[in-house]
Amino acid sequence: MNNSKSILNNLLYILFFFIIFIIYLPIIVMIIFSFNSSKYQIMPFRDFTTEWYYRVINDTQYLEGLTNSLVVSFTVSLLATILAFFCAYSLVNSNFRGKSILNLFFLTPLVVPLILIGISLRFYLSAQGYEPSLYLVTIGQSIFVMPLAILNLSNRMSQIPKNLEEAAWSLGSSRIRSMFEIILPSCKFSLIATFILTFTFAFDEFIIAYFLNNFSITLPIKIWTSLVTGFDPAINAVGTLVFLTSLTLGLTAQLLFMKK
Amino acid sequence: MLFFFIFPIIHTLRLSFIDPEIGTFTLNNYVSFFSKEIFYDSFFRTLKLAFSVIFFSILLSFPLAYFICFVINKKYRTLALLLLVAPFWTSFTIRAFSWQLILSDKGVITWFISFFTNYEVKLNFLYSMKASIFGLSLFGIMLTTLLLFNSMITIDKRLIEANSDLGGNKFNEIKNIIFPLSLPGLIIGSVLTFIISIGDYAVPTLLGGGFKPVLAQLMLSTIKGTYDLNTAATMALVLVFVIIIACVPLLSLIKQIRFER
Repeated sequence: MNNSKSILNNLLYILFFFIIFIIYLPIIVMIIFSFNSSKYQIMPFRDFTTEWYYRVINDTQYLEGLTNSLVVSFTVSLLATILAFFCAYSLVNSNFRGKSILNLFFLTPLVVPLILIGISLRFYLSAQGYEPSLYLVTIGQSIFVMPLAILNLSNRMSQIPKNLEEAAWSLGSSRIRSMFEIILPSCKFSLIATFILTFTFAFDEFIIAYFLNNFSITLPIKIWTSLVTGFDPAINAVGTLVFLTSLTLGLTAQLLFMKK
Repeated sequence: MLFFFIFPIIHTLRLSFIDPEIGTFTLNNYVSFFSKEIFYDSFFRTLKLAFSVIFFSILLSFPLAYFICFVINKKYRTLALLLLVAPFWTSFTIRAFSWQLILSDKGVITWFISFFTNYEVKLNFLYSMKASIFGLSLFGIMLTTLLLFNSMITIDKRLIEANSDLGGNKFNEIKNIIFPLSLPGLIIGSVLTFIISIGDYAVPTLLGGGFKPVLAQLMLSTIKGTYDLNTAATMALVLVFVIIIACVPLLSLIKQIRFER
């Protein structure tokens, strides 16, 4: 009995490390290749070089994509975090008939593939006479990150004891004031974490940006085009940089969530 | 949200019922969708892809979540979860591309094999349905494991003790306690995995290749190529219908989604 249990446990250990190995393999390969001097992305490894990194830093297209991506994702995450704060506040604090429908309504974008959000927004907005642009990308990506932001924030808010706010009201504070002085400070870390999380999601998002954009590229679009149209070894360097940045941001968000 | 999410979908719905030439109401778009072999094929290919992905992700994430939740030392639990999730912060496209490097016929794997055994092997794996399933399953495994873990962690440990006190074995424990109680996580995970798989464009393009397109690829090439909005809208709506059906299992869980304190 005990013996069979430990065999099972050992098998589970093997499975776990195997899966971890598999999901890290592409990242490791990417990092290794980013230092490979060979122009063709095949083994064996040639010499060590940092040329690709220099090239990325000096490539205007990558830089343009990066700037656009940063601006768009910053706006998206700011917008989504602020809106989600109010949505979550009203969802947590109110109780009315049809509330569960409203809940569902706020979560539906989670179950709609990004390609559908992208396509239908493009159809709709171009029928209204709007040209695809970075502004539309901002709108589209906000829709896609909103549910995540709302879930995170309402999670945190439902942990704040209600009597704190009630005490404030009975002492004559207005609803808005109590919201800003009680709820906002206690959601501080969650707000920052939500901001970072939505930022990383928007930063990596490709398909919505692809549909709602005309000429100005974002970083994922630039990566995509250089993957599809002939090969550019600098991609590995870009990937490594993006991975390290998202890793730092993601870990920070995670730590902040745990801090509450 | 209403303006930028619901209205566009309704607009697309309307487009799919409009005749591209005359501009009147018609069902022709749907008729031609299901009668043209290319659409029909890619529709079933998409479904096959999504179901295979679900199958593999459930198969692997159940033991994984069990492992993280019950086997591993409590101290390392968060670390194990982070380890599992961290790679998915890199861009989807770059990861898919990196798999190209590994799996292609001149990639890392074949190089390794020929380096150690002096055999020239051909994998014939890249640019096939198998490769798409593989790429998407990895994502599905991460997602499903995470959601399953969330359900499993709330299971009352006393139930498991009671089972072993009463002489039940591991199999009983999993069948009667852990599986039924983690079902919500399993359902949400599978539905989300399904939806991501049927709507994904990057993985089928980079790993699956373009010869046997899935619906998302077809949709994109229709828009970029012929600019036939009505056909594209029809494809989009077919996807929406599939998603609505896929969401039915979620309905049983609605009561658990609450925002209250």
